[in-house]
Amino acid sequence: MMSEQIQFTSEPGKNAKHDVTVYALSTCGFCKSCLKFLHDNDVKFKYVYYDLLHPDVKSAVKEELNKKYNERLMFPFVVIDDGKHVVVGFKEDMLVEFLGLK
Amino acid sequence: MPGKKTKENVVTFVTMTATKQNWKLHPDKEFLDMLIDGLMTNYNRYAYFSCPCRAASGVREKDSDIICPCAYCVPDQKKYGHCYCGLYLTPEFAKTGKKPKPIPERRPPEKDT
Repeated sequence: MMSEQIQFTSEPGKNAKHDVTVYALSTCGFCKSCLKFLHDNDVKFKYVYYDLLHPDVKSAVKEELNKKYNERLMFPFVVIDDGKHVVVGFKEDMLVEFLGLK
Repeated sequence: MPGKKTKENVVTFVTMTATKQNWKLHPDKEFLDMLIDGLMTNYNRYAYFSCPCRAASGVREKDSDIICPCAYCVPDQKKYGHCYCGLYLTPEFAKTGKKPKPIPERRPPEKDT
């Protein structure tokens, strides 16, 4: 699995009930807002900036995510508990619900 | 390879684009700053202003529809009041004082690279 070879950056947090992985773009405002939201809510998560990956790795990751989650890769792309929920785009309400942040 | 763009260059670019089109820029300085940094990074990486919120192929012809201001900017402004990134707002939307929210992607999936 290509995604297993990616170097993710881990962010510690007290809200560690869920496994949260974020694929983001280093250039995107809503991606930055999403990472900040998780950070501000003390969520434990890991992320990678997709645009900084090697082109070969990018296409493999895109294909893998497409297939695995049946979702178009758009950013931010948030995978919760290995695909129990996938939130595409910075949808605060959905993150609040799926991560139990209410 | 064209010369590198400085932040000031990019501020001039977005300001001039907005002025010419009668659009407004994102009202939040911090958010606007992130988009300007993103555009600068993309220009200095690809040699064109690829949309900061979409994955670029790095090939200008393939990315031509997402070069800022993108081909989807005006239709998105008509429907939502602002573009996909939240960079360019219509004057009407700007007057409401609302902040741009994430909107659905209008770019056809087959164009993804």
